[in-house]
Amino acid sequence: MSNRDTYNTAFTETFMIETKDLPGLKYQDISAWDSVGHMALMAALEEAFGIEMDIDDIIEFSGYEAGQAILTKYNIAIEPAV
Amino acid sequence: MSQAPAHPGFDINGIIRHQRNRYPVLLIDRVTDVDPGKSARAVKCFTYNEWFFPGHFDDEPNVPGFVQIESLTQTFIMTFLCMEEYRGMKTNFVSINNVRFKRKVVPGDVLKIEARLTSFKRGLAIGSAESFVDGEPACSGDFVVAVPEILDRYKPRG
Repeated sequence: MSNRDTYNTAFTETFMIETKDLPGLKYQDISAWDSVGHMALMAALEEAFGIEMDIDDIIEFSGYEAGQAILTKYNIAIEPAV
Repeated sequence: MSQAPAHPGFDINGIIRHQRNRYPVLLIDRVTDVDPGKSARAVKCFTYNEWFFPGHFDDEPNVPGFVQIESLTQTFIMTFLCMEEYRGMKTNFVSINNVRFKRKVVPGDVLKIEARLTSFKRGLAIGSAESFVDGEPACSGDFVVAVPEILDRYKPRG
């Protein structure tokens, strides 16, 4: 499974949405991505990639695209979408 | 070398200082012991004077399931609200799973509750609790509880 697949799966399984809904998705765009959902997403990503995120990165993680940039700090490169 | 003394738990005034539930929904009477960040045990004594018995049911009084679940949950949240940095914070349910009711609880019963905290991270508490009457299992469930005051510290800035 590619890093993008892993990244996408964290979103789709946490928020019960489809992959096509991910581009442009931002915090509070959908009801599932509230403060509780945000913590669930961070936990899913940490488990999936075996990392522990800093509080500043969790706060900056404001959207699907922003999150990809943040993960590069943890040496996780999300491949370009095909 | 002697071991550190066990936490003595909390009487009703101690419970009130550490959690925000009040009458008629404060549903534990005493925390008998607590291992902060790990586990807690509590008791709830049911008398016929409880507010719900006349309605559940007038001819067969027994403790409603939601009351039993709330007793489990209030024991569960004491596993972390007992710690000074979280004392008195409000909590919300996120999910309740695998709830089982195994016996009827009636006036005169003493519910003994055991709760375990398996994870407490960034304002989300995950764990389980089970209760017993006279050593017989009464109710059990798995819980995820949020602490909004902590969650707010991690909200994206937008």
